[in-house]
Amino acid sequence: MEPLQLTAEQSPLLFLELLYKLRVRDVMAKDLVTIARSATMRDLKRLMQERKVSGVPVVENKRLYGIVSIEDLIQALEKNRMDAPVSEFMAPNAVTVEENMPLSIVMSYFNKYDYRRFPVLNASNEPVGIITARSINSRLLMELFRELARIENQYVLPVDDNATCYFKTYRIQKADFDNAGKASTEIKNVLRDRGIAAKTIRRVAIAAYELEINLAVHSDGGTLTFRADEDEIQIVSKDQGPGIADVSLAMKEGWTTANEWVKAMGFGAGMGLPNAKRVADEFHIASALGVGTNVTARFILPKAVPTPPASLPTAAVPGA
Amino acid sequence: MKLSELLQAVEAEVLWSDPAHDATDVANVISSDLMSDVLMMDAEQPLLLSSLVSDQSLRTANVVGAVALVVANGKIPPPNMVELAQELGITLARTEMAKFEASVALGKALGR
Ligand SMILES: Nc1ncnc2c1ncn2[C@@H]1O[C@H](COP(=O)(O)OP(=O)(O)OP(=O)(O)O)[C@@H](O)[C@H]1O
Ligand SMILES: [Mg+2]
Repeated sequence: MEPLQLTAEQSPLLFLELLYKLRVRDVMAKDLVTIARSATMRDLKRLMQERKVSGVPVVENKRLYGIVSIEDLIQALEKNRMDAPVSEFMAPNAVTVEENMPLSIVMSYFNKYDYRRFPVLNASNEPVGIITARSINSRLLMELFRELARIENQYVLPVDDNATCYFKTYRIQKADFDNAGKASTEIKNVLRDRGIAAKTIRRVAIAAYELEINLAVHSDGGTLTFRADEDEIQIVSKDQGPGIADVSLAMKEGWTTANEWVKAMGFGAGMGLPNAKRVADEFHIASALGVGTNVTARFILPKAVPTPPASLPTAAVPGA
Repeated sequence: MKLSELLQAVEAEVLWSDPAHDATDVANVISSDLMSDVLMMDAEQPLLLSSLVSDQSLRTANVVGAVALVVANGKIPPPNMVELAQELGITLARTEMAKFEASVALGKALGR
């Protein structure tokens, strides 16, 4: 493997923090596949095929005796010694890591030693897992993903001392029906706390919810951004795919590409975009196949009008 | 008409309710399984009747400012839906009646 070039001077601080924060035990594969010293190389071959692993710690009674890898298996095959015990081919002095070590040290091990996996021992020297480039990659990606989402969500526009602007971005996952709609519920609550008129809240919530559901059911996942100023409210939906082939068609009432699964959930009437447009004061949509879709809905808030003197008769408004 | 009276009209079993809702005056019923259709309606404080059992019907009810969601066709909302109803402050009830039958009963109760 190419050495990982991770030096303290070059890495972003957040990343370094992650490398120190994560311990081996957070990253290792815990469903450890092991083999006994007396097992044959043929047994090893079967085990590797079944469990889809390329290196197996040799363990008996919670004690690590060595590690045997696919390279050792090839040796046995070449020498036609598949019935020989694993103990003959294993590397007896496996380099191990301790479960409490920070990930940063393990990264340096990958550079220092030419091994692709390290058995993990607990404080009593019992093997409890294995760490591979793959287990590190997936965990790091997950952590980075989470961290980025956190940063995105935390990003609140710096505002003046009057601090009347509210800004929040929600990440909407593809096909995540359990969480779809949560952002819109929260947006509704924020607007209520800001004292926005009920009718306006309803319009904004409708647009937010339709766009949020569209992100969950039609896009590969994206973001819903909500911004409330003194004089306007904006809902922006953004995703990076798959995009809409014909936007004017998508804006037609009743036009949908929703599948049966989406319809079973109560969506897919082809009304969402037209409805979001209907409730908004301004509506923009831009989309391209393979690029993604951006939708903006704007709501203009009425200027705070001074309340009329009580003596003036107010006209009755039907339905108000 | 009071919400409690409308719920009686469909012999509803109430799964969660805000006691303050019982006396709420409800003049509109939306009966639909298509959430976008519900979101198109301009009804004040409606009661939503649907045969869908999903968080999304509650969230939709919340967006349109519904006081209650009645699940028709004898379906049983799972516990997490009851929790969500409480979180959103929406009365959640169920009825053994089919959606159509329940719509008729609610319509009659409202004198339509
Ligand atoms: N973010 C998006 N990414 C890709 N395609 C989208 C996106 N939003 C909408 N579409 C496409 O536009 C069509 C119309 O969307 P619209 O919201 O109007 O209706 P729908 O989602 O199909 O049904 P409904 O909103 O009534 O539940 C969708 O069926 C889908 O093909
Ligand atoms: Mg839609």
